[in-house]
Amino acid sequence: MERLVRVAEELARRYRISYYEIRITKVSASHLTMQNGQLEELSVNTEIGIGVRAFNGAWGFSSANDMERAEKAIETAMKIAKLSKGDSRIYLDDPTKDRAELPMKRSFLDMDIEDKLALVKEVDSLLRGDSISNRSVSYGDGVKEQLYFNSLGSEIETVVPRIRLSFSVTAKGGGDMQTYWKSFGGTAGWELMEGIDLTHWTAFVREKAISLLEAKSPPSGGFDVIMDPELTGVFIHEALGHAAEADSVKTGESILAGKLGERIAVEELTVVDDPTLPGKFGSYIYDDEGIKARRVEIIKDGVLINYLTDRETAALLNLKPNGHGRAQSYNYQPLVRMGNTYVEPGDWSFEEMLAEVKRGLYMIGDKGGEVDTANGTFTFGAKEGYIIENGEIKEQVRDVALSGKILDVLRSIRAIGKDLAIEFPGYCGKGQWVPVDDGGPHVLTRAVVGGLL
Amino acid sequence: MIESLIRILERENVEWELYWEKGRGGSFRIENERLERSQRKFHSGIGLRVGYRGKLGFSYITGLNHDKETLEEFVKRTIKLAKVSEVPFRGFPSEKSPAKVKGLYDKRIDDIPFEDAHAIARDFAEKMAELKAGREEYTLSGSLAFGVNFYGIANSNGIFLEDRSTGMSVSTYAVKKGTKTGSGSYYQSYRSLQPFEELEVAVEKAVEEAHLNYMAEKLLPYKGELLLEPQAFRAIVGIFLENLFGDNVYYGRSRFTKLGEKVSSEELTLIDDATVDGGVGSYPFDGEGNPGKKTVLVERGTLKGFLLDETYARLLGIESTGNAVRDFRTVPHVGTSNVVVEPGEESLDDFEGVVVKKVFGEHTANPISGDFSLTVELGYVVKDGEVRPFKDNMLVGNVFELFNSVVAVGKEFERVGSFYSPRILGIGKIV
Repeated sequence: MERLVRVAEELARRYRISYYEIRITKVSASHLTMQNGQLEELSVNTEIGIGVRAFNGAWGFSSANDMERAEKAIETAMKIAKLSKGDSRIYLDDPTKDRAELPMKRSFLDMDIEDKLALVKEVDSLLRGDSISNRSVSYGDGVKEQLYFNSLGSEIETVVPRIRLSFSVTAKGGGDMQTYWKSFGGTAGWELMEGIDLTHWTAFVREKAISLLEAKSPPSGGFDVIMDPELTGVFIHEALGHAAEADSVKTGESILAGKLGERIAVEELTVVDDPTLPGKFGSYIYDDEGIKARRVEIIKDGVLINYLTDRETAALLNLKPNGHGRAQSYNYQPLVRMGNTYVEPGDWSFEEMLAEVKRGLYMIGDKGGEVDTANGTFTFGAKEGYIIENGEIKEQVRDVALSGKILDVLRSIRAIGKDLAIEFPGYCGKGQWVPVDDGGPHVLTRAVVGGLL
Repeated sequence: MIESLIRILERENVEWELYWEKGRGGSFRIENERLERSQRKFHSGIGLRVGYRGKLGFSYITGLNHDKETLEEFVKRTIKLAKVSEVPFRGFPSEKSPAKVKGLYDKRIDDIPFEDAHAIARDFAEKMAELKAGREEYTLSGSLAFGVNFYGIANSNGIFLEDRSTGMSVSTYAVKKGTKTGSGSYYQSYRSLQPFEELEVAVEKAVEEAHLNYMAEKLLPYKGELLLEPQAFRAIVGIFLENLFGDNVYYGRSRFTKLGEKVSSEELTLIDDATVDGGVGSYPFDGEGNPGKKTVLVERGTLKGFLLDETYARLLGIESTGNAVRDFRTVPHVGTSNVVVEPGEESLDDFEGVVVKKVFGEHTANPISGDFSLTVELGYVVKDGEVRPFKDNMLVGNVFELFNSVVAVGKEFERVGSFYSPRILGIGKIV
């Protein structure tokens, strides 16, 4: 380690590099998957690698997973930076020396693989049932130990554990098939698994899949829509979060570019990204640029007050970096990414919200989404829904997707519930995958529903 | 080093399979017409699968330079995993001749000095700046990547295969801003080094699309005949293909259980073909050493084949189609190579009506029920030779119904990466 610091300093002098940073990462992970009672994968692996970024008005990056190539990677990154000479600026801070760890109450590193296998088998057997043609269980855990150092003198050592369990069933009947699933995860230890009421959730998933066999396709067109906390989460992630990532503001692609300080949503709306929430799946201590993670209010009382930034976009926009430069792993460059994104609760009860809707939809669960930040158009799917007529919940609908214009939908929000939940772990893709969490309360707005009727 | 690893494995009373890789890549990111990020990455590693008393163990190590002790430890660890794993071992393939596929390796990409690749990227950025001049309402960005990979597979059934491949890809993104916003993008990948003109085309296409997108308005709801351009049809085919993956068929996550079913109109023929010369999805042998093949999936509307690796082929009692996809970090899983929608006989060039060019959100669709609602990124209506673009609508429907409704397939196909398709005329709904 000390040797690498010396090598890096010397090479930086030789190539006249103003700033560099090095990440050495070790990930120990185990993964188990099972389908229909048959174990499909059981793996336990450890990987070490190095990623080096050097800055010379533009970035040079190099990585290697063979530590014998570590010095070579440092030199390559610096050579590329020297070759690249650009006119961008980055935010340079004071050196930070720290060692920080996200805690596990019960470390999954101390557990036998047999215990993890027993959990997977238990979930699989609980998922069994009539009309169920497929059961899938996936368990994963991993500890990421990262050593970060940069040319400013920062030396940060972090240890972040992550654990995840997800399961799904496919129900078959009446010539149709439907799938339903549930995921749990966080920056925590085995205690997270122990806290799950498996009997309840496996029955829940099974019953939902079976009930969807009878559900109808929703109507299509513009509707009042109540989103449940899970769907509110994916909605705010897709519809607002991505457009608030300052790299898309930098390239002029974001619909939110130049709108800082403007009212872009209803006054009741406050949206936060907070990677410091204890135990959440998208939490971390320092980002991959050595900046401490912090809570960022993106929208406060309807006004856009902040973007999510990294060292580069912060310097460009005259902001402070707020610790959102994240990389998938050592062999990727950090990009501006979300952590845990959510809508702050309001003061509506679910019943009051329901009473507002004459004809609309209650949409539940996240089935993924996508956004075009330039046009401000987003789409996302719900796991299921219900028709609302005159304030009453009626029949169930399936395969529901929503689409809308970011700014229109943010301005059409009519009610924000009191019931906050941020417990919907997942991965967000943007050329790289990073773990995120999102959520919110129930929210009533208007969107285009793409149904078949 | 592979040889010494094989010697260690041969000492043990196990069945084994090694997959090794060594590669490097250079990639470049252009933002606001300036080259902002350049990178050069190296990767190497070995994946080991071990079959022991009917159970399978898997583990990998990074790097290809290890001492004997590390290799012994690697083998020991993987055998131990096989002992505890409970993953059933279905057997490894036996020795077969790999397919003969041309044009997967271009020495010019392998030999290109990083400085030269960097210079091409810089020229690419300059070209964007030049094209932007006089069109200040546009912002252009893009990326360029080059890569080379050496890989090999060996197993205790006598397979020992090695090969190498190269790749190049280009993407561009254009945003037009004025009283409103429009965006356009272009992506293509190749096996060989492309002339600079190809990069210019990439910028021009994105700019052209951004302009159309800028002009686009929302279309009134419509139901009836519509023309799907290859990129839009790719999303629909992707949803359908989920049902043909051998693992989904075996585990009851597919709509289909047997071949011979009628799954579309007779106009459609769908093929997975790993043997296309120069194809970006092509390979002489798959991730388990089975030869790459041309597999007819749907022939004139009838389901003819599933996509299979060795494991699911054995479980379903059919021969592997050579569709095991992997890298050294993963066990093989079923994937596609090049997906080809066979061209038909219609010209469809002078089609008048609703055309859907690009959609997104296909991962929210339900592959089994087939229902989808996709956001239209760009479409246009052609009437009396005049083109009126639209966006912000949704294309909704059911993939099986849409497949059945296909009335005509274009004569010429277009390639986007490993997907080849002509224009498709079918019945759909825009909301």
